[in-house]
Amino acid sequence: MKKGKADLLRKDTGILKHREWRGIRDTVYDYSQWCRLWGILIKWAASHPVQNVKAVMRYRWMFSYITVAAFFDRICMGQRGAGLRAARSNLNYLASDVTKTLTTIFSADMNLHPGSRKAEELNKKIICFDELLPAILGKGFPGCSTILFQEYPMYLPSLIHQHSPVHYIEQSELYGLPADVCPLPSFEAGLAIEDDFPKIGCCMVTSNMPCDGSIMTTMIQERRIGLPSVPLNVPLRWKEDEVQDYAVEEIKEAIAFMEKHTGRDFDWDALKEACSIWNAQNEAKFEKWDMNKTDMPPHTGSSAWLYRIFEHQAVCGEPAALRNDLKVNRILRRQVARGKCPKTIRHRAIIWNTPANNYANFNNWLLDCWGIDSVCEMIDIHGTDLIDTSSRESMLLGIAGMYQTSTMRAHTKGGSEVMLDDLWEKYEEYNADMIIMFDQISCKGVGAINGLFEEGAMHRGIPMCRVRQDLMDPSSITRREMRNDVNVFMLTVMKEEPLDASLVDFDDDKSW
Amino acid sequence: MRDLKHIHYYEELLAQTANGLVLEEKDEGGIAVGYTCYYLPEVLLNCGKAFSVRLRAPNTGSLDISQYYMSSFICGYTRAIFERAFEGGMNFLDFYASSDTCQQMVRVVENIRELSLISNPDFGWGIIDAPLKISPHGIKLYTDQIRDHILKPMSENYGVDISDEAIRAAVREHNEMCAVFEEITEMRKAENPGITPREFHILSLVSYACPTAKILPYLRESLEDLKEREPDPPGRWRARVVVVGSELDDYGFSEILENARCYAAADRYCFGSFPGRQQIHLTEEEPALDQVCRWYLETNQCPRFMSQEKIRERRETVKRLAEEYLADGVVIEQAKFCDFWGYERTLNTQVLAEEYGLPTLGIDREYVVRGSGQLATRIQAFVESLEYKKIKKGGGEL
Repeated sequence: MKKGKADLLRKDTGILKHREWRGIRDTVYDYSQWCRLWGILIKWAASHPVQNVKAVMRYRWMFSYITVAAFFDRICMGQRGAGLRAARSNLNYLASDVTKTLTTIFSADMNLHPGSRKAEELNKKIICFDELLPAILGKGFPGCSTILFQEYPMYLPSLIHQHSPVHYIEQSELYGLPADVCPLPSFEAGLAIEDDFPKIGCCMVTSNMPCDGSIMTTMIQERRIGLPSVPLNVPLRWKEDEVQDYAVEEIKEAIAFMEKHTGRDFDWDALKEACSIWNAQNEAKFEKWDMNKTDMPPHTGSSAWLYRIFEHQAVCGEPAALRNDLKVNRILRRQVARGKCPKTIRHRAIIWNTPANNYANFNNWLLDCWGIDSVCEMIDIHGTDLIDTSSRESMLLGIAGMYQTSTMRAHTKGGSEVMLDDLWEKYEEYNADMIIMFDQISCKGVGAINGLFEEGAMHRGIPMCRVRQDLMDPSSITRREMRNDVNVFMLTVMKEEPLDASLVDFDDDKSW
Repeated sequence: MRDLKHIHYYEELLAQTANGLVLEEKDEGGIAVGYTCYYLPEVLLNCGKAFSVRLRAPNTGSLDISQYYMSSFICGYTRAIFERAFEGGMNFLDFYASSDTCQQMVRVVENIRELSLISNPDFGWGIIDAPLKISPHGIKLYTDQIRDHILKPMSENYGVDISDEAIRAAVREHNEMCAVFEEITEMRKAENPGITPREFHILSLVSYACPTAKILPYLRESLEDLKEREPDPPGRWRARVVVVGSELDDYGFSEILENARCYAAADRYCFGSFPGRQQIHLTEEEPALDQVCRWYLETNQCPRFMSQEKIRERRETVKRLAEEYLADGVVIEQAKFCDFWGYERTLNTQVLAEEYGLPTLGIDREYVVRGSGQLATRIQAFVESLEYKKIKKGGGEL
C-alpha cells in the first residue's frame, strides 16, 4: 500500500516520527524555521530561568507551551512554497511576541513573587483587558502594557494542546456549572476557580464579548481576581447607526477608568499612530484575501486564521506585526505572479462558524486528505473597516466599530442575516464549490439558526458538510469524529475518493 | 380552602396562547403585541389600542421541528415558542417586540421572520439592543431603541397612539392592576396565608398573558374573594421559600412546591411579580417614555447585567425578599440551556448560602415541569432540610 502522511505519525499520540519531506528547498526551509523557533524559546527560557521554571510548576496550563514546536509542525503539515513560508513566518512572529508577553506577565505575577515590591511596581503599569477586546485602546497608554487577560492561560493553550481545557472545564462543572455552556467561558471560569490566573495588573476592562456565556463567566472571574474593573459594553446590533454613540461613550468611560487607575493621561497621538498601523495591517490582510480569490490561493489554512485572530486581538497597532505582514505579502505575491500552485486543490471551500481550537490543524487535514482548500473562513473576517484617524471622535468611532465586529462577534451578532448573507456572498466572491459548516454544539447563538443554514444551502444547491465540534473540549467531540463527519460526506454525498487514504481514519486522541 | 373565584377560568385561559380574552380584544380592533422579556416594558406595549401578550407555549409536547431548526441545545422555552409559531399558534400576533438580550430568544423572531411563519399579512417585528449596566448613556440608548424599534413601528404600521398622554393612560391602567397585586402580595407575608403558591402563580401568569383591561375586572373580584376566604388551619406549610430564576410559565412548578408543602412566599423569576407587578409613579416634569424606560432598566433583575453594583443588587434583592416575606430559604431555578441563569444559579447558590446565610437550592429544569418526579424529590429533600434547620433552631427534637 502506498505510504501516506498518516504513516508519519505515531499511533494514538499523532507525534511525528520524523520531519515531513517536502522536497529539498521546502524541507530545508521548514527545518531552519523550526530551529529558529527553538532559538526563540531557548532565548526566552534562559532570560528568566528561575521565574519560568516557577511558572511551569505553578500553572498547569504552562505545560501546554512546552509542546508548541509540535503544534507549529501540525499547523504547517502538508504546506509547500509560499504557503509554508507565510505560515512559518506568522507562527514564529507569534512565538516571539507571546514569549515577550509571558515574561511581562511572570515578572509582575504576585503568585510567583509574593510580596515583591518590584512586581508591585510593574503591576502599576499593567492594564488587563478581556481577551476578546482588541488591545488597541491600550496603545493610548504607551508607558503601560495591555495584557489580554485570558489569552495566555486559556486561548493559546487550548490551541496548542487539545487536552489543556479538559481539567479546567471539569473544575467548572464540579463547581456546578452546566455542561452545556460553551467550553471557552467554562475554561475561563475553571481557571478562576482554580486560582490559576496570574495575579497581575492594576485594573481590568471587562466586556460582554463575544456572547452570553462570556458575559456571565466575567462574574465568576471578577470575584476571584479582585481587580478594580469596568465593564465595557459593546453593542450587539452593530449594523445600526443608532448604537454607535453608546459604543463611543462606553469607550470614553473605559478610558477615564484606566486613567484613574494608572495615574496617567491618555495619549491621543500614540493612539493615532497605533490606529494608522492597524489600518496598514488590515490593508495587508485585504490583499491576502484578494490573492485567495485567484485560482492559486496562496494563504489558506490554520496559520492564516490563527494569526489573524492574534493580530486583531493582541498585536493590533504593533509595528513588528505590520513588518511581518508586509514580508508575508511579498512572499505570497511572488507565488501568485509565478502562477504556480504547490498544492492539489479539488475543492474550494468556505469554512463557516467558529473553528475548533482543539483541532486547529483541521484545515491541513482537509487539504491533505480530500483536497479541500479553505479559501475563506468566517473566523478570519473581522474588524475590516479602516479607522478614520482625522479626529479623536472618529478614532473612537472606528475602534467602537472594530470592537463590534471583533473575533466571534462580526457574524454571530447583528442579526442572523449577517451570518447567513455573508456566507452566500463569500461563496460567490471566492468562487467556492462547497461549504464546511462547523456545528459548534454549545454555541447557542449559531445553533439556533441551524435550519436556516441547511435550507439556505439546499435552496442554492450548495454542497454543505456539517462538522460537529465543541470548540475546545475534545471530551465531547474528538478530532477523529470531526474527520469522520467529513469522510462520510465526501464518500456518500460527493462520492469521491480521498487524495491520501492513510489520512481517512487514524487515531490521534492522545495527541497534544 | 375553597376554590378561588375565577381560578378555573384562569386555568382555561392559560391553556392557550391565543386565549379567549386575547381573541376578544383582537375582535374589538386591538393590536396584539407579543413579547418574552422584561427588557420590553410591558406597559408601553399597552398604549392606545395595542395590548401585550407575554408569549407562552402551553401544552407543549414534541419539539422535533424546533430541534431541526434550532438544535437540541437551546432552551426549551425558546424552542417551544418557535414550535408553536411553526404550528400556526402565533398567527394572532400583529407585532413581535423582541430584544437582543438573550441570543437564543432573539433567534426565535429571526427564524419566524426568515421562514415567514406568521400568516398574518400585517405581522411586523422589532428588535432592540439594550445595555448591560445602568448609566446615563445606557438609559438613553435603551429609550431610543424602545422608541425607534418598538413604538414607532407600532404607531406607523398599526396606528397605535404612542403619545405622552397614551403612555400615561397605559401606566394608570398598569398601576391599577399592580395595586391589586400589591394587596395580594401583602397577604403572602402572613404566617398562614390565604392564597396558595399555585393560585398566585396562576394570577400572575394571566395578568401577563391577557389584555390588561380585560383581565383586570376578574382580578379585582379574585382579590375581593381572597379577602373573604377563610385560610386553611395553620400548619399546612412546612417551609417558606423565595423562588428565583429564569422564565417560568408552567404553574406546575408551584404545584410541585405545594405538594411538598412548601410555600413560595415571593417570586423573583421572569413572569413572576418581582419585578413587574409594582406601580410606576410618574412625575409631570419629564416625558413619560423616559421615566418608564428608566424604571424598567433600573428594576430589571436579569443576570445579564454585568456591573458589580447590579450583581450585588440582585443578591440583596433576594435577601430583602426573604426577610420581608419570612422565607426560610431560596430556590434558584434555571431553565436548562439558559446561559445566563446557568452561571447565576451556580454562583448564587453558593454565595447566598455562604455569605447571606440563606439556605439555597439550585435546580435546572425543563420548560414543562409538570409531573417531574426528579424535581419533586429535590424540592421535598430541600423542604425537609429547611424544616430540620427550623426545629434545630427552635431547640426542638426531631
